Amino acid sequence: MKRRKFDMKQLPASTAGAIDDRYKVATPLRSLLNKVFPDHWTFLLGEIALFSFIILLLTGTFLALFFEPSSQEVTYQGSYVPLRDVHMSRAYETALNLSFDVRGGLIMRQMHHWAALLFMAAIVIHMARVFFTGAFRKPRELNWILGLTMFWLGFLEGFAGYSLPDDALSGTGLRIASAIVLSIPVVGSWLLTSLFDGEFPGEIILERFYILHVFLLPLLLLALVTVHVGLVIVQKHTQWAGPGRTNHNVVGERWFPRYIIKQGGFFMLVFALIALMGGLFQINPIWLFGPYEAAVVSAGSQPDWYVMFLDGSSRLMPAWEIRAFGYTVPPLFWPTIVLPGLLTVLPMFYPFFEARLRKDKAAHNLLDRPRDVPDRTGLGAAGIAFYLVLAFSGGNDIIADKFYISLNAMTWAGRIGLLVLPPLAYYVTRRICLGLQQHDRQVLAHGVETGIIRLLPDGRFVEIHQPLAQPDGHGHAELPYVGAPVPKKMNRLGALGPAIKGFFVPIEEPAPKEKKAEITKEKEPV
Amino acid sequence: MVSRSPSRIRRRAIAALRMLAALVLAGGIYALVSPGAQANAPGSLSAAAEEGKALYNNYCITCHGNNAQGVEGRGPSLIGVGSAAVEFQVETGRMPATAQGAQIDRKPPQLNSDQARQLGQYIQELGGGPQVPFSGERSPTQGNIAHGGELFRINCSSCHAFSAGGGALSSGKFAPPLNESTDRQLYAAMLTGPQNMPVFGDNQLSPQDKFDVIAYVQNLNTDNDPGGWGLGRFGPTTEGVAIFLFGMVVLGFAALWIAGKS
Amino acid sequence: MSISNERFEFVRQGAKERDDVEIVHYELQYPLGSRQEKRVVRFVSGLFLLSGLASVVFVACYIWWPFTNFPAVTGWEYEPGNSWMKGYTPILGLTLGIALAAFGFAVLVWGKKLLPHEIVLQDRHDGASDPAERKLTGSTLQFMGEEMGLSRRPLLKVALLAPAGGLGLAAAALPIGMLMKDPHHPDVFLHTGWDPQANGGKFVHLVREDGETKIRPEDISIGGQITAFPGIPGGTTNKHADSPVLLIRLRQNDAEALRANIEKGYPINRGGMAGDLVAYSKICTHAGCPASLYEQQSNRLLCPCHQSQFLITDNARPIFGPATRRLPMLPIVVDEEGFLVATSDFNGIPVGPAFWEKPEA
Repeated sequence: MKRRKFDMKQLPASTAGAIDDRYKVATPLRSLLNKVFPDHWTFLLGEIALFSFIILLLTGTFLALFFEPSSQEVTYQGSYVPLRDVHMSRAYETALNLSFDVRGGLIMRQMHHWAALLFMAAIVIHMARVFFTGAFRKPRELNWILGLTMFWLGFLEGFAGYSLPDDALSGTGLRIASAIVLSIPVVGSWLLTSLFDGEFPGEIILERFYILHVFLLPLLLLALVTVHVGLVIVQKHTQWAGPGRTNHNVVGERWFPRYIIKQGGFFMLVFALIALMGGLFQINPIWLFGPYEAAVVSAGSQPDWYVMFLDGSSRLMPAWEIRAFGYTVPPLFWPTIVLPGLLTVLPMFYPFFEARLRKDKAAHNLLDRPRDVPDRTGLGAAGIAFYLVLAFSGGNDIIADKFYISLNAMTWAGRIGLLVLPPLAYYVTRRICLGLQQHDRQVLAHGVETGIIRLLPDGRFVEIHQPLAQPDGHGHAELPYVGAPVPKKMNRLGALGPAIKGFFVPIEEPAPKEKKAEITKEKEPV
Repeated sequence: MVSRSPSRIRRRAIAALRMLAALVLAGGIYALVSPGAQANAPGSLSAAAEEGKALYNNYCITCHGNNAQGVEGRGPSLIGVGSAAVEFQVETGRMPATAQGAQIDRKPPQLNSDQARQLGQYIQELGGGPQVPFSGERSPTQGNIAHGGELFRINCSSCHAFSAGGGALSSGKFAPPLNESTDRQLYAAMLTGPQNMPVFGDNQLSPQDKFDVIAYVQNLNTDNDPGGWGLGRFGPTTEGVAIFLFGMVVLGFAALWIAGKS
Repeated sequence: MSISNERFEFVRQGAKERDDVEIVHYELQYPLGSRQEKRVVRFVSGLFLLSGLASVVFVACYIWWPFTNFPAVTGWEYEPGNSWMKGYTPILGLTLGIALAAFGFAVLVWGKKLLPHEIVLQDRHDGASDPAERKLTGSTLQFMGEEMGLSRRPLLKVALLAPAGGLGLAAAALPIGMLMKDPHHPDVFLHTGWDPQANGGKFVHLVREDGETKIRPEDISIGGQITAFPGIPGGTTNKHADSPVLLIRLRQNDAEALRANIEKGYPINRGGMAGDLVAYSKICTHAGCPASLYEQQSNRLLCPCHQSQFLITDNARPIFGPATRRLPMLPIVVDEEGFLVATSDFNGIPVGPAFWEKPEA
C-alpha cells in the first residue's frame, strides 16, 4: 500500500479547501477581511467598554470559583488578624479569603472592580461622543436605545456585584436601596418583602443578587452587546466629513490587517491598564469596612461612582413628603425612582424628538461636528452640568471635610447649583459653538493667519493671510463650509493631516546640505 | 479690790498658756492630718501645678478667666474638666485657641508636652476631673486589635470614618483624622469628649476597651495597604476620580496615538 | 518574502470588482529593507521580548513571592506594617501590566509603522431595499397570513385569546407567586425586637453589642451615647436590623428642654425618658442608615448618608436634610435590678423609612 506523502506546504490550502467544501466560506470570509472601517480616535471609546466587559467575564469567573454568597453567620479564623474571631456572613468571609488566603485573589478582585468602573466610565464617555456627534440619528436609533439599556444593565450589574461581599459599606447601600424600593407608591412594601423574602435584610438577598450578577445580567449584556456591535458592522460605522467622504461610502482602512491590529493592540493596552491599576491602586478594601451590621456606618459612605449621582440627588432633595388620604409618598421616591426613570426614558426618545423638531427624515452616516449643532451641544452640556452637580453632591461630605466647607452650605450649594448651572452651561456652550462656527467661515473666506505682519506704506499694519482658494480683489474667497474641519494653522494645510511630524513636540529635521550652501552664498557680500 | 495673790495670777497665766498650747496642738494635728484644701486655696498647689498656673495666667486666662471660672462668650469654665482634657487640647495644639469658629483644629502645639502636663496638673488640682491613668505617651498594655475594631466600628467610625481619616459634621464642624494622634491623646479624647465628640466614660468603655480601640487605630495608622496605594482610603469617591483622571485619560491618549484625529 | 506587486494588483482588482472595496492609496511607510524599517523591526521585537520576560517574572512572582508564611502550620499570619507580603499584589500588577502593555505596544507599532499606509473606499449600499424586493417580501408575508387563514376563521382568532392569556398568566403567576410575600401578615414594619409581646410579655432589656451585658444608667456619662440592642436571642444580629437604638445622657438643662418639648408638641413620648437618659431609634427615617453622628454640644444627630439632622432635645425632629419624620423614641425605665428596659415597642410608631400605607404617627 502506498503511503500518501504528507505535504506541509499544501496544508493551509488543503485545510481551507476542506472547510470551503462544507461551508462555502470563500466569499463571506473575503468580504469580512476587506470590510472598511473609518479611522478616528473617538471611535475607539466604545471598544474600551467592550474590552472591559471581556476582562470582567474572565476575572469574574475566577472569583466565582471561590466566593460563596451565603448569609450564614460564621466566625472568622483566616489570616487577617484585625478581624479574628469576628462574627460575619460566609459571603464576607469568602471575600476575605479571596483577599488574603487565595494566591492572586486580591489582584483578581481589584482587577474585576477597576474593570467595572472602567466599563461604566467608557460607556458614559462613548454615549457622550455618540450624542455630541449625532450618531444616534436615523438609521441608528435602535443602537442608541440598546446602548442606553446597556448602561442601566451595567449599573444594576455593578450594584449587585459590589453588594455581594456583604461588607458595611455596600450593606449600607443595600439598606438605602431597600428604602428606595419601599418608597414606591402602592406596591413599595410588597416589593420590599418579596425581594428580600421578608423584612430587610433577610437571608436570601445575597443569593438572589448572585444569580443576577453571574448569570442573568451577564447573559443579557452579552446578548445586547452582540446585537449592538452586529448592527454597527451591518450598518457600517459612521464617519466624519472630509475629503472623499460622502453619506453613502466609508473611507478608512480594511478590517484585516490594519484595523484588527489596532483593535487587538488596544485590547492589550486596556488589559494592561486594568492589570496595572488592579495591582498598584487599592480598591474596595472590604477588610477595613468590617461586616455589614445594621447599627454600623462610616462617615463618608458613598456608592461606586456610577451610582453616586443618585446619592447626590437623595442628599439634595428637600424634605418634601406628600401625605394625603392616609397615604404617604416619601421624599426618597422623587430623586431615586422618578429621576432615573426620566433619565432612562427621555433620552431613548431623543432621536425621534430631534428628528421631528428639525423636520429631518434623512438617514445620516456623516457625523456632525459639535459646533455645527449648537442647540444639541448646549443641551448635552446642560445635561453634563446637571449630572456633575449630582455626582459631586454625592461626595459632598468628603468635600466639606477636606476643604473646610460647612456641610450644610455644601447641600445648599448643590441645590442651587442644580437649578442654575445647567441653563448657564447651555447658554455658554451655545455661544461658544456659534463663535467657533463663525471663525470657521471667517477662515474659509479670508484664509489662514500666517502670523506675518507687514507694514504698509501708509503706516497700517496688516497680517498676511494664506487664502484657501482663489480670492477676489478684496481678499475674499467663496468657499462653502462642508462640515469638515477647517485648517487654521499653516502646518495643517493639505488633506492628509499634519505635515510636521511629532505629537507633543515638533520633530524638526535640519535643512539638507545643498540648500544650506545656497543660502550662505547669497549672503556673501558682493 | 479682790486680793490677787501671786499664785492665783500664775495659775491663770498657766491656764491661759495651756489653752493656747492645746489650741495650737489641736490646730496643728488637724492641719497635719486633714486633706489638702480644694478650690480657692492658692497656697496648696504642687510644684507642677504652680508651673501650670504660671502658664495658665500667660496663655489661657484671657478666655478661660481667673481661676478657670470661664468668660461668657469666650471660653467655658474648666472646673472639673480634669487633666486629661487639658493635656489633649494643649498637646494637639488646639489650645491656646487662635480664633473662635465652628471647630478648633489640630495644629503644631504652642506648648510642649511637659508644659501641657503642668497645665493639666493645675486644672486638676483646681477642680478635679478625669485623668489619663498612665504616665507615658504609649498605652501600658497592648490591646486586642480585633476587639478594638468591633468597638471602633460601632462607636467611632460613624464620625471618624472606617479609615480613621475623619468626617464632616453639621455646619462646619468635623471629626478630625486620627493619623497623628498618640495613644495618650486617643485615650484622653475618648475619656473627655472634646467639643462635640461624645464622652466615653470608664463605665461605658473600660480602660482595657480603650486600649483595644487604641490598638486598632494605631494598626490602621501603621498598616500598609496590601492592595497597592490606598488612594487616601476615602472609598469610592477617589476610586471614581482615579478611573477618570488616570484610566480614561491614559486610554484617551492611547486612542489618539493609535487612530489620530481627522 | 517581500510585498509582491502582482499579487497586490490581483487582490485590489478583485476587491474592487467583487466586494465594492476600492484601495485608492497604498504606500509603504519605509522603503523595504531600509535602515529605518530595520530599526522599527528591532524595536517591535524588543517589545515582544520584554513582554515575554515580564510574563515569566509574573509567573515566578505568583508562585514564589512571599505570600504564605511557610513555617507557620495553621496558615500565614497577616503582618501589619511593612513586609514583603504587602508587595505581592503590586508586583503581580506591575509585571502583568508591563507584559500586556509591551505586547500591545509591539502589536500597535507593527500595525502603525510596518504595515503600509492605506486609504480604502467602500460603498455603504445603505438605504431601503429595492422596491421590487419590498413588494415581493410584503406579498410573501401577506400570503402567509392568508395561508394561516386566521382572518377567515374568526372562531380560531377568538379561541387563540384563551391560551395567550392563560399561558401568559401561568408564566407570570409562577415567579410572582413564588416571590411574593405579604408585608402585613405578619406585619414587619410595626414590630421590632423590642416588642414585649414577643418576649413573653416581659419588658426587653437594653444590652450592649456583645448581646449579653445589660446597661445601667450609670454606664453612660453626661454628654455620652451608647448603641443599645434588644436583649433577646439574636438581638444584635441583622435579624433585628430595625431595632438598634442610640441611648444618650443629656445635660440637665437639655433634658429639661426635651421634657418641655414633649409636653408642648409631642405627648406620645411622655414618660419615655429615664431621668436624663433618652433612647431614640438609630434607624434614620429617610433611607434607613444608622443615624449615629451625635454632636453632644449642639444636640444634633447627623446621619452620614444624606446629611439629615435631628434635634435630640426636640423629639429628634428633623431640622436639615431630606428626612421628614422624627426618629421614634424608645420609652425606657429602670427596672428593680437597676437595668434599663424598654416599656413599649416605640409606642407603635413604625421604625425606619416611610412607605405608602404607613399609619399616621
